[in-house]
Amino acid sequence: MARTNGKIKIAIEGGTADHGIVPHDRWLAARKKLLAKEKQFTRERDAINKLRRQLPWEKVEKEYVFDGAGGKETLADLFGKHNQLLVYHFMFAPDWKQGCAHCSFWADHFDAIGVHLAARDTAFVVVSRAPMSKIKPFKKRLGWKFKWVSSGGNDFNYDLMVSFTPEQLKADELEYNYGTGPIKATDREGASAFYKHRGDVYHTYSTYERGIDLLNSTYNWLDLTAKGRDEGDRGQFWVRFRDRYDT
Amino acid sequence: MPKHTTGTREQWLAARKELLKAEKDLTRRSDEVARQRQALPWVRVEKQYRFDTDEGNATLADLFRGRLQLLVYHFMFGPDYTAGCPHCSAIADGFNGNWIHLANHDVMLWAVSRAPLDKLAAFKRRMGWTFPWASSAASDFNYDFNVSFTEEQQRSGTAEYNFSKTGVSDTTGAPHDLPASVGTDWLTYIRELPGMSAFALEDGVVYHTYSAYARGVDSLWGLYQWLDRAPLGRNERGFWIRRHDEYDKR
Repeated sequence: MARTNGKIKIAIEGGTADHGIVPHDRWLAARKKLLAKEKQFTRERDAINKLRRQLPWEKVEKEYVFDGAGGKETLADLFGKHNQLLVYHFMFAPDWKQGCAHCSFWADHFDAIGVHLAARDTAFVVVSRAPMSKIKPFKKRLGWKFKWVSSGGNDFNYDLMVSFTPEQLKADELEYNYGTGPIKATDREGASAFYKHRGDVYHTYSTYERGIDLLNSTYNWLDLTAKGRDEGDRGQFWVRFRDRYDT
Repeated sequence: MPKHTTGTREQWLAARKELLKAEKDLTRRSDEVARQRQALPWVRVEKQYRFDTDEGNATLADLFRGRLQLLVYHFMFGPDYTAGCPHCSAIADGFNGNWIHLANHDVMLWAVSRAPLDKLAAFKRRMGWTFPWASSAASDFNYDFNVSFTEEQQRSGTAEYNFSKTGVSDTTGAPHDLPASVGTDWLTYIRELPGMSAFALEDGVVYHTYSAYARGVDSLWGLYQWLDRAPLGRNERGFWIRRHDEYDKR
């Protein structure tokens, strides 16, 4: 018999959890207490956003040329008519058969944002080292609309610290996530931001690993559920390509 | 161009690493707040709610579609609106790509609005969305979860939003061209407000576990999380968001 007061046990990944069941007024009191902490967190996030905008910018001196669907494009070209450029570093190495499943999960979130970002003077482009001959059919398979270019012919991925040479992989000190992240692959995930002024391009920001956590709103939704991300200690074990789920 | 400091690679890197510490700290605090959400007690949902869906009449338990958890986005689309709210539409552009992943992690995501189902269906078709969307017109669902308000509540100032009576008046600073975007006046427009609610299903019983409103749904809005990382941040004045097929029409 279900109760309106007491405890019930629920299954979570890797075990069970007890949940208190209470009348609405007691839930409301607990919820309001949490609301104060959530508001504090939102304000702390706003403060971090302000710190991001205060970072100094570095001028991009190197000329990067990418392969796009319509031919060669420089980094400055990727801005289109905008002054800001956001790049998602999608893990897709030249010798891989397909792009990373986890980056694909992220891509399902950002596929629709380009048109909105454009209204904020911001271009959005996905960059991978794989050749366009691999990128094009994979993008078509997943039905994505965003712009995707190949950096296979330049150092962009290496300079932005999302791709690593065999020598770097062997070495002890690697600079992924500013030297704090372990590397197990030639290509890793991340996001970078640029600003264009009078033809000059400035690198303003890059982030990696859990730095892109907030960009995946599935996780932000799951953070609001009773079971949370519910992955136990097997992070993202359940994630598949959107066309590879059973249901 | 805004006035901005430029520096060498080394200067930028040093500042970036300093910021990274603060970011990591924030990520951990986010995890901690999520843990506290999971520790919230649950409330048994006693009322029987009826929804109108593409598959016919449904109860709240039906919306789970065999999953253990249900997430509801309270999409602002009142019966008198001529279209869904543009801001909710931008949020929906994000979760339109999410819901299939959530559905395969034991979580069903629905949008729920008070507009009749045929209005919702036509708008959903126009926007090219696939997520399930139910009409709650036949029950008190929206009122009980504090995202719809009666004219009487508006007159008497007794409406509660975001867990407070001042929650509704906090929204009066919103841009006044918003009502025109849904074909209503201001008061009709704010008879609906945005939010989300979470539910769990155990032994056939539905429990309400969580609700959030106002900036509580900010982190669900992937667009803003990206803009927060752009050089100029959100950089907004007034109402700039349009439905994704309306930007060219400005």
